[in-house]
Amino acid sequence: MLERIRLLFAEAVDLKMETLANSEMTIEIAYIAPLCEEKKVNDFIIVPFTKEEYSFRKQLGINPDYRLVEDPAYWQELLLRGHILIKAADHIYSFDAARVISVENPQTQVESAIQGPQLALSEDIRISLNLVRSMYPSPDLSVEEHTIGSLSKTPIMTVYDQRRVDPTVLDNVRKKLTTINVEMVHAAGELEKLLVGKRKHLFPTALITERPDRITRAIARGKIIVLIKGNMFAIILPATFFDFMQAVEDSYDSYWMTRFLVFLRYASILLTITLPAFYISVVSYNPELFRVQLAFSIAGSRSAVPYPSFVEVFIMLFMIETLVEASIRLPRYIGSTATTVGGLILGQAAQQAGLVSSIMIIVTSVVAISNFVIPVNSLSFAVRFLKYPLILISIFFGISGVAIGMFIYITYLCNLRSFGKPYFRFFGKLRHLEGDVGQVKLK
Amino acid sequence: MNRYVFYNFILVSFINLMLYVPHILIQYRYTGAVSSIAAGSVIGTVLLYLYTSALARYPGKGLPEILKIHFPGWPATVLTLFFAIMWWFATTVVVVAYAILINRFFNPDVNTTVILLTLVLACGYAATRSTLTVMFVIEIGVIINAPIIMFILFKAVRSPQLNWDAIRVVANYITAMPSITALAAASFVFTGYINLSLFNRLFPPNFRFKFRWVYPTFGLAILLVTFFVPIGFHGTETVNRYIYIWSVTADSLLMQYGFIERVLFLFLIVFLNLTLVYTMSGCHQAMEFIKSCLPGEKAEIDSPETPVSNYVIVSCFALLTMIFQLLTNEKLNMQITSYWLVLRMFIEFFSVIGIFILSRRRSRAV
Repeated sequence: MLERIRLLFAEAVDLKMETLANSEMTIEIAYIAPLCEEKKVNDFIIVPFTKEEYSFRKQLGINPDYRLVEDPAYWQELLLRGHILIKAADHIYSFDAARVISVENPQTQVESAIQGPQLALSEDIRISLNLVRSMYPSPDLSVEEHTIGSLSKTPIMTVYDQRRVDPTVLDNVRKKLTTINVEMVHAAGELEKLLVGKRKHLFPTALITERPDRITRAIARGKIIVLIKGNMFAIILPATFFDFMQAVEDSYDSYWMTRFLVFLRYASILLTITLPAFYISVVSYNPELFRVQLAFSIAGSRSAVPYPSFVEVFIMLFMIETLVEASIRLPRYIGSTATTVGGLILGQAAQQAGLVSSIMIIVTSVVAISNFVIPVNSLSFAVRFLKYPLILISIFFGISGVAIGMFIYITYLCNLRSFGKPYFRFFGKLRHLEGDVGQVKLK
Repeated sequence: MNRYVFYNFILVSFINLMLYVPHILIQYRYTGAVSSIAAGSVIGTVLLYLYTSALARYPGKGLPEILKIHFPGWPATVLTLFFAIMWWFATTVVVVAYAILINRFFNPDVNTTVILLTLVLACGYAATRSTLTVMFVIEIGVIINAPIIMFILFKAVRSPQLNWDAIRVVANYITAMPSITALAAASFVFTGYINLSLFNRLFPPNFRFKFRWVYPTFGLAILLVTFFVPIGFHGTETVNRYIYIWSVTADSLLMQYGFIERVLFLFLIVFLNLTLVYTMSGCHQAMEFIKSCLPGEKAEIDSPETPVSNYVIVSCFALLTMIFQLLTNEKLNMQITSYWLVLRMFIEFFSVIGIFILSRRRSRAV
């Protein structure tokens, strides 16, 4: 066996191949040392074999952890997954001694909730599955394993409740998973893009989360979860726009307050998309839209600004976007400095220098702050982009252009499907006796 | 799922302002508008009841499919094509009227043709989407805009500027016999049910029309407000001077506490949204009708990929709309619209009765 393995692999010092002998028999073992836990190798193979307290041959036969490998074609893959290959008396056995390095018991960081579980998913897929299983102790929970990536061979698991899951969505996801053809997959976001399939999409149509409570809640609603090895995030399919606007805390806190918060989110998403465009159209096209006092104060604050409103908007938005981008990428300690310098000093100075109007500073900060209100990061990113097409159309058509732009956005959203399910629609109360619209397939 | 029927109804009854319905009615205010409103609502209600009970027998089928059941190939094709042209024309009138309106009130500097092009492109994109998508957009458009329109109408009715004497004077002309044009204009408000010709495809097999009494009540209320409130604001004589009567009426209102002082702007934005939604829905229906005439075309309510035929048909519509705008002016547009309204009333009358009889005959046979 060892000769053959030597041929299969490139020259590698970490590939350990030994021949051991005791009074009973001689065995050959092979493993890749960094991938395996040294302790397991010792405890399960070397020590019991050399101590001879119990016949190793019998142990190989009885213990189901030593799995018989019939086909030599699997050798390579097993070794690369951290298994040990044992050759004893013309049989080849494999033993899983994989060592998974992951963050120990990670806390939720991206989607933090004040109350509610603080534990996030783990990079070890088994710990993640443990969390999901223990929070959803139901015999209906179905777990399927797939492997993605011709090089990375990333193990992924799809988890769903077999009674509640929508069979068409499940078929759709399975088909997608089997047809994905890439070399490497390491992040949930990467897999999400592959699953969705469209190269140029504006909105996320699958929800990426790290919270086990969000996951189990989604399973209970018949959704499918995709867990990836080596990633703290799971993908929830299918997702609707409204899932992205939902923070987990909405179901933990008091009713009226959370309703108010939901309203706040929708109001701010509207503001962050339309406000710069409205500023341009009000200043350049329809100052008479506002009441006279307000129109005067806007015009007054712009009196020192020498160029048209859209230049002003572009200057300020460029500043705020770079600021946001910088404070995300910079290390945490420098990040706060950047925000202070940029936000306070530059903003004030730009207004005093007559580069931008003071109203524009308010508009910019409203745009930036309302963007952060969106609870799920991927939507927040998507929404950050949405204001620019509206600004462009408002330069040419004013307020009517903004309205047309919003109409196109709504149409686009309604047109999106997340794995065959509508992405953006108002679900009224659906009585079980009544069918839903669009369920009939015409012959 | 009755709300989806209701959305269509609301949409059409609100859009009557864009089809010059108030202006046409006001022209006949001494010569039969009031009685036309009464007669029109009766006709509208009867047709609505007939059509919904006829469609209830064809669950999940649109008008083209129903025609195909009862007629051999070419008459069904001719009829469907004719309906498609009717639908397309309604959207053309609305969208051209709105392009002019934007030019008048929002952007006087921009060329009307350019505005129309933008509107048509936006609506064209939306119309090429699947039927289910179009329904969702209608839903969202109505849910967002209807409360604001209700607010404006309520504000108008409760305004101290409203002269009830003028309204009373005009209302007393109820004894004048209804005229055909006014009748057509009045019955248009109730014509939302005709959109079900296509959207009936979406409804599940066990769908039942419920709360049908709401539609005539709502339609009559809207019709009365659209007709009488401008008269109350402008007086019995002056009211005839404006083509865009409701824009002017909305401009007579003031919101004392808002950012936006003039109700006109709120009104225009809301009606822009409604115009877009209506144009999309009309174009989509016309497109689907034409598609159902193509050989080998299968009706799909939610196809994952947009067929090329959608783009081709809708761009033809868009081109025709642009040509229509270039060839006509406001006055001609209004004339044609009033003829169209009359034609529409007769077509609808006969097709609804026809479909109703067909549906009964079929049930007796089966």
